[in-house]
Amino acid sequence: MTYRHLLSPLRLGPLTLANRLVFSAHLTNYAEDGLPSEQHAAYYAARAAGGAGLVITEEHSTHPTDWPYEKLIHGYRPEAVTGYRLITEAVHAHGVPILAQLNHNGGQASGMYSRTPVWAPSPVPDPLFREVPKAVTVAEIAEIVAGYATVAGHCAQGGFDGVELQCSHSSLVRGFLSPVTNRRTDTYGGPLAHRVRILREIVAAVREAIGPDRVLGVRLCGDELIDGGTTIEEAVEIARMVEAGGGVDYINTSIGVATSTLYMIEASMAVPAGYALYISNAIRRAVRLPVVGVGRIKDPMQAERALAEGHCDLVGVVRGQIADPDFLAKARSGHATDIRSCLSCNQECVGRMGLNRWLGCIENPRAGREAVPLAPPTRRPRRVVVVGGGPAGLQAAATAARRGHLVTLYERHQGTGGQVTAAATVPSRAEFLDVVRNLLAECRRYGVDVRTGAEATAAGLLAEAPDAVVLATGARPQAPHWAGDSPRVVDVRDVLEGRAEPAGDVVVVDDLGFHQATSVAELLADRGCRVHITTAAMVVGQDLGITLDLETFTVRAHAKGITQSTDEVVMAAEADAGGGVVLRILTHTTGAMSERRADWVVCATHQAPEDALWHALRDAPFEVHRAGDCVAPRRAHAAVVEGHRVGERL
Amino acid sequence: MSGSRGPALADPVVVAGRTAPSRLMFGPHETNLGRGRSLTRRHVAYYERRAAGGAGLVVTETASVHPSDWPYERAPLAADCGPGWAAVVDACRPHGALVLAGLGHAGSQGSSAYGQSALWAPSRVPDVVSREMPMEMEDAEIRALRDGFARSAALAVASGADGVEIDAGQHSLLRQFLSGLTNLREDGYGDDRARCLREVLLAAREAVGDGHVLGLRLSCDELAPWAGITPEQAAAVAREAAAAVDYLVVVRGSAMNVSATRPDLHTPPGFNEELCRSVRTAVDGAALVVLQGSVVDPAQAERAVREGSADLVEMTRAQIAEPDLLRLWRDGRAERIRPCVLCNQKCRVRDNRNPIVSCAVEPRSGHETEDPAEAGRDARVLDVLVAGAGPAGLEAARVLALRGHTVELVERGDRLGGGLLRAAAVGGRDRFGRLVAWWEGELRRLGVTVRTGVALTQADLERAAADGRAVVVATGSVTGPRDYGVDEGGRVLDVAELLDGRDLPDGPAVVFDPVGDGVGVGVAESLAASGRPTAIVTQDPVVGTQLALTGDLADANGRLQRAGVTLVRRARPLVVGREVVVEDVLTGVTSSLACGVLVHCGHRLPDESLTAPVVAGDRVAPRTVHEAVLEGRRAALALAGEGR
Repeated sequence: MTYRHLLSPLRLGPLTLANRLVFSAHLTNYAEDGLPSEQHAAYYAARAAGGAGLVITEEHSTHPTDWPYEKLIHGYRPEAVTGYRLITEAVHAHGVPILAQLNHNGGQASGMYSRTPVWAPSPVPDPLFREVPKAVTVAEIAEIVAGYATVAGHCAQGGFDGVELQCSHSSLVRGFLSPVTNRRTDTYGGPLAHRVRILREIVAAVREAIGPDRVLGVRLCGDELIDGGTTIEEAVEIARMVEAGGGVDYINTSIGVATSTLYMIEASMAVPAGYALYISNAIRRAVRLPVVGVGRIKDPMQAERALAEGHCDLVGVVRGQIADPDFLAKARSGHATDIRSCLSCNQECVGRMGLNRWLGCIENPRAGREAVPLAPPTRRPRRVVVVGGGPAGLQAAATAARRGHLVTLYERHQGTGGQVTAAATVPSRAEFLDVVRNLLAECRRYGVDVRTGAEATAAGLLAEAPDAVVLATGARPQAPHWAGDSPRVVDVRDVLEGRAEPAGDVVVVDDLGFHQATSVAELLADRGCRVHITTAAMVVGQDLGITLDLETFTVRAHAKGITQSTDEVVMAAEADAGGGVVLRILTHTTGAMSERRADWVVCATHQAPEDALWHALRDAPFEVHRAGDCVAPRRAHAAVVEGHRVGERL
Repeated sequence: MSGSRGPALADPVVVAGRTAPSRLMFGPHETNLGRGRSLTRRHVAYYERRAAGGAGLVVTETASVHPSDWPYERAPLAADCGPGWAAVVDACRPHGALVLAGLGHAGSQGSSAYGQSALWAPSRVPDVVSREMPMEMEDAEIRALRDGFARSAALAVASGADGVEIDAGQHSLLRQFLSGLTNLREDGYGDDRARCLREVLLAAREAVGDGHVLGLRLSCDELAPWAGITPEQAAAVAREAAAAVDYLVVVRGSAMNVSATRPDLHTPPGFNEELCRSVRTAVDGAALVVLQGSVVDPAQAERAVREGSADLVEMTRAQIAEPDLLRLWRDGRAERIRPCVLCNQKCRVRDNRNPIVSCAVEPRSGHETEDPAEAGRDARVLDVLVAGAGPAGLEAARVLALRGHTVELVERGDRLGGGLLRAAAVGGRDRFGRLVAWWEGELRRLGVTVRTGVALTQADLERAAADGRAVVVATGSVTGPRDYGVDEGGRVLDVAELLDGRDLPDGPAVVFDPVGDGVGVGVAESLAASGRPTAIVTQDPVVGTQLALTGDLADANGRLQRAGVTLVRRARPLVVGREVVVEDVLTGVTSSLACGVLVHCGHRLPDESLTAPVVAGDRVAPRTVHEAVLEGRRAALALAGEGR
């Protein structure tokens, strides 16, 4: 595969891009006190070093009335220029151009941080922030326009090769463009030509500020996916008007509204790859400007195909380059299969953004830590034994071996992957398997001696006497206290690993609030079971909310006839005359007791650590470390982070 | 002391040989004023303001004693707090207050999001809220914990603090060791669940010495009698601990009910008084005992101290609302104390967004370094007309009058209060009414001319301006739009009409709450309590989502369910007739609810019938009381600036 289209250069206004891969704008929460940080510089530089054709930074706010989340970059403050120079010099060192995204979030905000009223075209409260904004006056519009020009000037001073105007996702301009949020009756509202007016004014002011030698892009929402919102037809018309107005060098695209349909902007693995390319396709057919296409494109083949099929001129790949900064370089050098491909799990990137935390990655423990120097290669290679081939063990082995240690990994099962392998057998979760597939490939690349079907024992390890042992022995299901000894009460892992085959009426008990319950419910519903999920929490699969899986799960669950109940604590399970189980359930909010009958009960409940080796070896005459579920059974990210940390400390 | 008449709240008290100028404590609480994991000058200004107002003891925000604990992003780390503690001491000492460093470890109630390491706990019992499985501490971790407390305590006193307060309260690893809910160990720390606390207190005492204060915050009732700490068990723990510490703060709550410690206005003030009295009896003078628990009325605090329920009283939220609480009380001017209404809207800040601690009605709280004080005297006396007597207008009038200006406040309704009257009319929220009474008293004291039942016109405002008067328009809001249809026979009532006292049509009530704050929930509760079949409809997966910030989310859902209110989640109304048709916002499935009347609790719009260069509060954009007060005050100070 030569990636002929992906690797071909492109003129973008005054710039020539080396290839078609864009690291598009996205939040990172790396700002410190409202200003760009060294971590920003290191983060973008890593993607530039990895060969991205164009980097576009996260948004820089253009006005003090705009402060929707704590770690927003206040581009209107002149001192931001210092940080801009850090970023642009770091990226330019790799010969890659970089643009700054400019934005005012408008009504998609609250006054929590700014302590001022929120500004918007009309007093229409945002569905997420729920604060009624102040409708801006014409004088305030002029102030907004001037703010864009000021910040564009800061960006030019700071060495950016141009700017992109955010007019999608979450943006005052989007608010003006969309009939849902623009109810004005003056010359900034009403017909499309009026609603576009503020954008045209901003383009003119920004072009004036940056001059002819820098790039100016506009990012448009092709479909807001909300009742009465901007649709593809209107988006195409807006793109035409933007082109006709002049001064713009390219159009970027997106889908959805950040504060109501975010699950379609940063779609998880539940949504097909390339799902938003119809937008760039439609716009590209209407304008001559280069158009950027997006939409869960996570490998170079998908990117190549999007270009070859004419959906776009440039491809935005964000999560793919968070997971592997060397995405393009590996594709270019014929090592595309070495790319640590993104899972679209959204756990540590998107999931952390909504929680005001720094951006990370479930499988790239360096993401978010680029500014911290990597542990150096070891000068004294040590003999390291890793026990357990789940994500913690694989990551520990890969990191240790990369640093030059001599690593042997024992996995008692026939294959590596640990619990991930089972979790990914659910069709809707198949892409999750990549985390352990990628890790195993890394282990092989760095020379780890991976021995499967090999159970490590305390005696054997003591006899082998390596310099260090890393225990990553994982966890085992444990029956909840209420389960009794019913053979019809089983764990999610019993189902996924084939030890139990529930049929008929199935109740899934969700104590974990993540994919375990919902995915096994879907699997069993697909197999013809009538499935009900019960939880003590207020929502089934509560944490799917932060990974943007809750909406799509809800729709699928409805289609599959899966029912749900909340606020329920299972107190006991009793055998039923028909061979099934009767659950005695306490509704903890009211104190009411009830019963629910099932043929099978599947528990998504907490596991117990496999820590026998730890107890046997912790006083051994060599170093012993632990990582992952054998410390405390948690999610895959904890395993990867701890595996990496152990690998760095050896 | 029991039986005899005890001291007064404003009397000094000797703690470990150090004299606190009053018996009022400003307790440890999350502020998000930190930077990194250090205390900042914002902390210093925040604590100093309370010390200046007469607080006897100030306990700084609980700092983690070990890096394994990072419960929220801005949580202080003791090792990083030395200079911050020293600065707080320097700022507070001139006012006489004792400064104690709050020290703790949140254990399984922490977060691994920042430290990216397994949480520590006595046993593998996941936290109810986060559901995250902690690691079971072994001897090495217990030793590190003990050493962490000792090292941190030593650093605090070396930095000049008068002592430390150890957290074994609702949010603490030490409580997790004490509790049968979370300590399932089979070793010496499980057979004797008080052992870990005992060792920590010994280590901390050794670190600070006898001349410094060692306090303990102790959960004395986990409200989970099946396995949790009961008042009887707590009395035994307290008796033993009292020998090691100088004071004990009696609190309640556990991970099972985090809202129980600092609950909102649905829980009566002073709810711990009985518990506190029993603990004080148990320790029998071996240590001072501090009453905590929504104490917001200084008269209640005074009574508790006089009658021997407690030796001191923690009134944290009351001093966030009124930093000068003790000073005003001591001076016999209790009526001037700005009341805390226990709304928890701005002071409870355990939220991922890291909101700055503040107060719904005292917006300068937490912002002492940025916001000017409202008191002061301006050289030129202005003549000001304030239109509208909601919180924005009341505050604008108060601050202008405070600064010596001539103020006339005109309200078209027959009472002062505006939106506050409606807030106070929502079921369970009548404490908001106390604010109206406070502003009324202040305006009377300050000589503001108040006219009610007068509807100003734009011409009136223009005439006033022409006469050289300054004008503030704070006329509030009007009902907002609705985006569903109403068929024949369908009855829709805006919540404002209901709260203003309009009678409801008969039949089942459907409350549509697209906002998710306390209004829809409270209205639904009241309607159900009146015996009417009631449903509440929200587009969210949970009712009352915005109550997460005030701590009332889980409680509110429980109250609604116990009241028999039907919760219709993830839905929006399409058409209101004799039934209301609602649609699932994700699946599009429609269903019908019987509906005698739909009560609409939606967003409002500014009332733009009057305008002037200076506008404030809901007149700008309808929001909460906090923004109204903030903008009313800002409007006053902006005008006062012109008068300077």
